[in-house]
Amino acid sequence: MLQHVTYRLLLSIPVLFGVLLLGFMLLQLVPGDPARVLAGPMAPPDVVEAIRQDMGLDQPVIVQFFLYLGRVLQGDLGRSMISNIPVIEELARTIGPTVELMFACLVWSVPLGLLLGTIAAVYQGRFLDQAVMAFSVAGVSMPIFFIALLLMMYFGFYWQLLPFVGRGGPLWTIEGLRHIALPALSLGLIFIGPVARMTRTAVLDTLRADHVRTARAKGLKERVVVLRHALRNALIPVLTLIGLQAGYLLGGAVVTETIFSWPGVGRLAVGAILASDFPLAQGTILVLALGFILINLIVDLLYAALDPRVKTG
Amino acid sequence: MPFWTKRRGGALALGLAAVLAASAASAQTITVVREVDSDRYDPHRSTARGASEVLFMMADTLVALDFDMQTIQPLLAHSWDVSDDGLVYTFHLRDDVQFCDGRPMTADDVAFSLNRWIDPETRSPVRWRAGNVAEIRALDDVTVEYRLNAPFSELLYQLTQSFASIIDRYNVEELGDDFGVRGFNGTGPFCWVNWTPRDEFVLQRHEAYSWGPPIYENQGPAHVERIVWRIVPEENTRMAAVATGQSQVTQYVPYNSLAMLRATPTVDVHQSDAAFWTYFIGFKIDRDMVDDEIVRRAMVMAVDQQTIVENLYFGEVEPAFSYISTAALDWDPDLYADLIRTNREEANRLLDEAGWVRGSDGIRSKDGVRLAPVAYGFTGSTWQNLMEAVQADLRQIGVDLQVQLFDATVAWGRLATQEFDLFGMSFPYISAGDALNLYFRSENMPTPNRMNWNDPLTDELLDKGKSAVDDETRFSAYAQVLRQVHEAAVWIPLFHEPMTIAQSTRLAPVRPHNIYGAGLYKGLDLRFLD
Repeated sequence: MLQHVTYRLLLSIPVLFGVLLLGFMLLQLVPGDPARVLAGPMAPPDVVEAIRQDMGLDQPVIVQFFLYLGRVLQGDLGRSMISNIPVIEELARTIGPTVELMFACLVWSVPLGLLLGTIAAVYQGRFLDQAVMAFSVAGVSMPIFFIALLLMMYFGFYWQLLPFVGRGGPLWTIEGLRHIALPALSLGLIFIGPVARMTRTAVLDTLRADHVRTARAKGLKERVVVLRHALRNALIPVLTLIGLQAGYLLGGAVVTETIFSWPGVGRLAVGAILASDFPLAQGTILVLALGFILINLIVDLLYAALDPRVKTG
Repeated sequence: MPFWTKRRGGALALGLAAVLAASAASAQTITVVREVDSDRYDPHRSTARGASEVLFMMADTLVALDFDMQTIQPLLAHSWDVSDDGLVYTFHLRDDVQFCDGRPMTADDVAFSLNRWIDPETRSPVRWRAGNVAEIRALDDVTVEYRLNAPFSELLYQLTQSFASIIDRYNVEELGDDFGVRGFNGTGPFCWVNWTPRDEFVLQRHEAYSWGPPIYENQGPAHVERIVWRIVPEENTRMAAVATGQSQVTQYVPYNSLAMLRATPTVDVHQSDAAFWTYFIGFKIDRDMVDDEIVRRAMVMAVDQQTIVENLYFGEVEPAFSYISTAALDWDPDLYADLIRTNREEANRLLDEAGWVRGSDGIRSKDGVRLAPVAYGFTGSTWQNLMEAVQADLRQIGVDLQVQLFDATVAWGRLATQEFDLFGMSFPYISAGDALNLYFRSENMPTPNRMNWNDPLTDELLDKGKSAVDDETRFSAYAQVLRQVHEAAVWIPLFHEPMTIAQSTRLAPVRPHNIYGAGLYKGLDLRFLD
């Protein structure tokens, strides 16, 4: 087990190097001149040039990359070119709200997705199944910004039940819960679809498996058969899907965070890229990549919990 | 036992109800939503409107600007004298002013702040706004002498801008590069509490404040305890936030929802008449095709400002035929009758006469040159819509406008080159002199004088206007320049944008100010009605 985790961790090192390189190169390709941004619209050219030298932007690209790599290895992600705040600090401030949003989204959407998928499988071909599948197709195919705007329009604007601007506080306060409700709901709605569909397929497969027939033959109640024998085995592909979808979710979070003014990493990334704030943009890309690696590591660990064969292997 | 019992269900429903019913933030906090944040809040280095909005509240200037955008009012200086030759300004400061940390403000702070602004080390992009300074020094604790090498008739107007804010030297030295990023000690009606970039800026009332400009009913302290400037990039969200009371006031509402907001009983919309933010498309007048005044004139005539204003802005902005608002200081009313108006027949006639012949696709050409000038502008819905509208108008007279839009981070650089024929731009100004000195001085090529307007007479007149010591001389000098540039058709003026503020009816009516586009200015009269 430990070996398994170590192996996965070692494997993530080249991945991270790739992420750093890609992040660096991508931002070199993006047109934009941070010195110009910093100087403002009315600055004379000599001021812009002086600022460019201060920022080290006159160095060759390869030199800039290795300087960057060296600093990252020392845990120094640099300072925001625009506001001069250490990147680490900006990231630390925004990771919390994003994790919070992820949690608030997954905590209801995954169980609900599992439930709906299982129901659909058990009632295969009947009305309930078709209703669930229609719902999840809608969830998969509707863009997140549309769902978000619809929810905002009804819950926030017409009925005025929930706020939709910014974060109200930590998750355990009432204000915090009120503010996170709509973003978490929007983000969760696009997540239910894939989970429900995958669960349905997987449960259908296992319901036909030999051990399930044996369980039924033993005279177990149908509920026990479905939950303990079919669903547990069906969870492995579902889990893989959740791990993969997490990346998609981070993308959705960027949109959700922008629409609801949620102070998270996604919004920070967009802002940094639009402002040509290289160090900050690289920092956010690194954090998003780390998040993805971490989620997949957790998924690997959960495999072991679900499937004893992984533990021994 | 089944999971869903009546008791559990009841508790859950109660909790949900509590969550839904909890009240919004405390009554003495005003939340202002806006579109973008500033990079930092250092008055000498930040030129964005987003920075000025907050700086006006956190810091004071020597003098204040009245709502009419013309009258100079006392602020930190209770009075001032100007020498007869216009070279020496002596400011007499109030003796009761203190910073947010309680330290009294003296003439030393004023001299330090203004000298930091013009110091080349500071790299202030707006140091030209301070005029040609010989020396700024404190004569005693309450007197500051501002000595110029050449008279600068606009000095007092420039000193009302946020760039001339008075800051605390110890605070600047202590924070170094973090000044205006992690803290700011000012003398304004509100004090720095916390800034989380791209999210929110929290300001707390300055309890000792009592030196507000006389343009406000309340000279201090402010009525509201806290002001939260919150960044909401999505325009529908901003509109909905004001409509539902999650934000009490904002100037960043999209034009297409103004009618809806007016119809909302809990929201009032105010507009200021003194609108000094103008959108225009300029010609680079030494490029082929557009170096011909006839071509420029025809193109200006082809653009139908009235229709653009109605279709794109729902009639909420004022179509522009002049380069500056006719309400601005030193606008010459005599020029009004001679402005170029929309007239497509005349435009077509001018081009026909000049030998530009329509081809089979309807586009004109002359001597093998197609009349297809290139226009640069900014990405984003504003300039995309404007450029498309202008493009369609120009097509009517056989001009094939090639539009290229760039992200704001790139656009400023591209607009500093010589590779385009037209460019789209908008700008705030306080007077004719402000606008003309910025755009038409030959020394300001290639930016902001992107037209390459190079005329010795203009330079001479601008110098004369800038250094005039009486209103009459200044007015007539600027009036001549205005006539010169309008007659040469160097811009296609598009519209003047009014300052529009949407506010909750729970607030006392907010009178929009227009200084640098910062509608709330000092915010001293902001208060809840109850």
